Amino acid sequence: MGAGISRLAWRNLWRNRRRTLIMLAAVAVGVWAMVFMSAMMRGMVDEMVRSGLEQLPGMVQIHQRAYRDDPSVVNSMPSPEGTLQAALAEPPVTAWAARVRVPAMVASARASRGLTLLGVDPAAERALGSVPPTISEGRFLEDEHDRGVVLGQRLVERLESDLGKRVVIMSQDPQNDVADRGVRVVGIYKARLPGDEERFAYAGRAALQELLQVPGQVSEVAVMATDYRRPQALVEHLARAAGPQLEVLPWTELDPFLSSMLDLQDGFSLVFMVVVFLALSFGLVNTLAMAVFERIREIGLMQALGMRPGLILRQVLLESLYLLLLGLAVGNGAAWLTIKPLESGIELSSVARGMEMFAMGATLYPALYWRDMVLATVVVLGLGVLASLIPAWRAARLDPIRALNSH
Amino acid sequence: MSAIHCRDLCKTFHQGEEEITGLDHVSLDIEAGSFVALVGPSGSGKTTLLNAMGGLDRPDSGEIVLGDTRIDTLDQGELADLRLNRIGFVFQSYNLVPVLSARENVEFVMQLQGVGAQERAARAEAVLAEIGLEGLSGRRPAELSGGQQQRVAVARAIASEPQLILADEPTANLDSHSATQLMELFVHLNREHKVTFVMATHDTRVMRYARRVVSLQDGRIESDQRTPEAVE
Amino acid sequence: MNITGLLAWRNLWRHSRRTWLTVGAMVFCNTLLVFLIAIQLGSYRMMIDNTLSAFTGHLQVQHLGYLEEQKMRQTVPEAAALASRLAEEPHVEATAARAVTFALASSEQRSFGIQLTGVQPALETQVSSYPGLVSRGRYLQQGDDAAIVLGSILARNLKVAPGDEVTLLGSGYDGSVAAGVATVVGIIDSGLAEVDRGVAQAPLAWFQQVFALGDRAHSVVLRLDDVNRAPMLVPQIQASLPVGESLVALDWDQLQPGLREAIRSDMVSAWFMYGVLIVLVALSVLNTQLMSVLERTREFGVMLALGLRPQRLGRLVLLETIFLGLIGLLLGVALGALVVLYFDAYGFSYPGMAEAAARFNLPPRIYPQVSLLSLFLGPLTVFLGALLAAVYPALRLLRLQPVAAMRAV
Repeated sequence: MGAGISRLAWRNLWRNRRRTLIMLAAVAVGVWAMVFMSAMMRGMVDEMVRSGLEQLPGMVQIHQRAYRDDPSVVNSMPSPEGTLQAALAEPPVTAWAARVRVPAMVASARASRGLTLLGVDPAAERALGSVPPTISEGRFLEDEHDRGVVLGQRLVERLESDLGKRVVIMSQDPQNDVADRGVRVVGIYKARLPGDEERFAYAGRAALQELLQVPGQVSEVAVMATDYRRPQALVEHLARAAGPQLEVLPWTELDPFLSSMLDLQDGFSLVFMVVVFLALSFGLVNTLAMAVFERIREIGLMQALGMRPGLILRQVLLESLYLLLLGLAVGNGAAWLTIKPLESGIELSSVARGMEMFAMGATLYPALYWRDMVLATVVVLGLGVLASLIPAWRAARLDPIRALNSH
Repeated sequence: MSAIHCRDLCKTFHQGEEEITGLDHVSLDIEAGSFVALVGPSGSGKTTLLNAMGGLDRPDSGEIVLGDTRIDTLDQGELADLRLNRIGFVFQSYNLVPVLSARENVEFVMQLQGVGAQERAARAEAVLAEIGLEGLSGRRPAELSGGQQQRVAVARAIASEPQLILADEPTANLDSHSATQLMELFVHLNREHKVTFVMATHDTRVMRYARRVVSLQDGRIESDQRTPEAVE
Repeated sequence: MNITGLLAWRNLWRHSRRTWLTVGAMVFCNTLLVFLIAIQLGSYRMMIDNTLSAFTGHLQVQHLGYLEEQKMRQTVPEAAALASRLAEEPHVEATAARAVTFALASSEQRSFGIQLTGVQPALETQVSSYPGLVSRGRYLQQGDDAAIVLGSILARNLKVAPGDEVTLLGSGYDGSVAAGVATVVGIIDSGLAEVDRGVAQAPLAWFQQVFALGDRAHSVVLRLDDVNRAPMLVPQIQASLPVGESLVALDWDQLQPGLREAIRSDMVSAWFMYGVLIVLVALSVLNTQLMSVLERTREFGVMLALGLRPQRLGRLVLLETIFLGLIGLLLGVALGALVVLYFDAYGFSYPGMAEAAARFNLPPRIYPQVSLLSLFLGPLTVFLGALLAAVYPALRLLRLQPVAAMRAV
């Protein structure tokens, strides 16, 4: 009987081909939109998190406890050694870098600007992925003893300086005396977010430690690990190794905007899917109700012939299920086909300055996640069958005599 | 002058692979003011002929002249105007618009003709009274009996004051009392308003009222009999 | 009532459940659109207002090229006089001159590179939101000399409080080393990290003296009676500027290009979502109207036989859709208006929104924009979508042949 019911349901579905196709189109458009929109949002948030982690940098940072409130060279910490160094050498840590990070002034003969000066070890930064993506002129620092500076393109323009010219960097040493030194611009970089070019300058770590008279001291240790979505276990592990003087924080606390975007996105995907489904559900219920209405006599006949109401209910539900499954297949397929060619990136340079407000570069890389397709499928199937219960229930409760005599 | 002049009408239908002859070189003249029954078994071509005369369907070849208008060459819009202004139709299954009341059904055609609202209402009431439906004008079709519905359909057909009424099996769904009433109404209209009636039927009750019976078989006219002493 | 209208209206209620379900889809969609669009427009307006009042004002007069290069020497001469003259222009509500430079700010314990702005205290209050955001101490006043207000994070980083002194070191207009000592009089706490970390303001007169600017400044900031008038006012302001000084008038869109682009990119994703909803409603209408046309084929055949022109049948179906759409429109707008008025009174927020909102200079609660546009834009689009969807069923009727139609079951 089960096979008979399913065949009957399938054939019934195609009795009014045009209506079924329209509803199928509606389900497919809905599912496509759910998955497509999710992939766009994922791409956007992934990109935000990726560039956010590059800028922080790292998934986890270690500071002296007072540093975040008072980011001064006074609140430095010793370079990792002993147990901390050992912990940083183990998985899930993939890379780490210890850096001096101080507020500073950079002045040319024409102008001066305040910015954040990073004293880095180029090899460690490269492993961390936090070196500027493009060096437009000159070179990046050679090693931590490099006595040159690397400045952003826009900063160089503002300072009216150039590659090979000298600028003065001024910062504060632990005695609150201004330490300054004339240095040569050895490289000019371009950042993914042009605003960063004015915010950060790079110097050799050892050279900067020497200028500030803090040998062996760093401001922060940035740590990269395998899964950015779950930094908590690593934080606890590192905190035990680092001891009570140091503060170990995940990126979610270092940059609440990023983590709130990540949370919002998960919630938003679900809300969007449910909203799209609700817009669909009216049509779904309507289509099924029409199909039942047209077949009142027939259903009455089946009941008169002894078909149990439960079986009629199942038949209508099956019809709906077929429709939903077909719509899901087409919608998911269409989403896959439309997103795949876009994964190489969508150019948004016409709104690049606007995207920068979202902390995003000018290219959007949509990211198709299986779990978004699964989520869309679950939402549509679950709520769809629920919505279909109404017309199915009505069909099952028809009075056979009245149904046979209708029309 | 003849009301309808048909010459050499041919029409073939296709049903699947099969070719069905609807009309096979039919020529027929119907005088103004006559009361004609087209008879024959189903498939004989009487409905096809009726539809062709009414401009509902176009013959494959041949010529139809209605009054002074050749109609087989008109386009759809011109045919619609012709039907609207010069022909009334009565169908087998009444075919009233279910969401309109009896009076509104009658007014419907007049509205299409552009008759003003007041005149429309007055004429609709008058026509409904003439065919014996006063007091029922506010009812919807579902609230009327079959005979009453068919009377409303007749009222609708004559309200536009056509020269010709074409009726396709008008009595098929009626009991004999209603059928007799309807035919008497037709005769009355034919006499008083000089309306030409052409009916397709195989109901002998109808044939008795006709003054001319044209019999069709396989799309051809088999016989054409005039009975001047029709039932009074 | 016209019979076609009557016919259309009554036809709508032949299957009242089907009609209500279709109307339901529209009402759901319309209510949602009214709410979303009102919130969207409301947040854009707040984003523009907050950003402009915090940073750039509606319009500025600057030296040509200053916007891109921000050089100390790209100045507006006789800035205070120009400001008071521009205040007389129509639609200009307030003006203030500003000078900007970068300096090393040092307290007893700390030094930071900052962007220092010289402002006219009495006038700045009328063009900027900062004076209202002072959390400790007071804002600058007329007659202040060596005084400075700082953002709260900057003050914390410098470890200063009102009453403490800050030494400023930078370069003057003539290229010489400029240095001055100012007393902190107030702390600005806006809740926006970018502002609280960066803002430092001192009286313009003192600024001009320390940095050897004379009567020059870097911009004259204008606040207009209506922010939307800014682009139209640019030529008028430009015409009133002294000739031969290479001064330009720039509206907020030129001053803050990211703002409109952020709005535009947000608009694209929002309209993608609206578009999907509208398409789904249109498909729902298409389905309903197609079914209702198909099941009336016979009836339509009779009407054609009676002499109705096919075009009128098409119009009948469109009229039915218009009724359907109007019910959806009115109910949707009414319901949407209720929702919007609720949030207009209480503000709209959801968990996690505050952090994201702060990034766009938005407060943690957003108030929707209540306007004809925000109420009707979405529902009218849905209405048009529904009409468009009815075109196919209506067009099918044009091909209907009376005899074939009457034979249909």
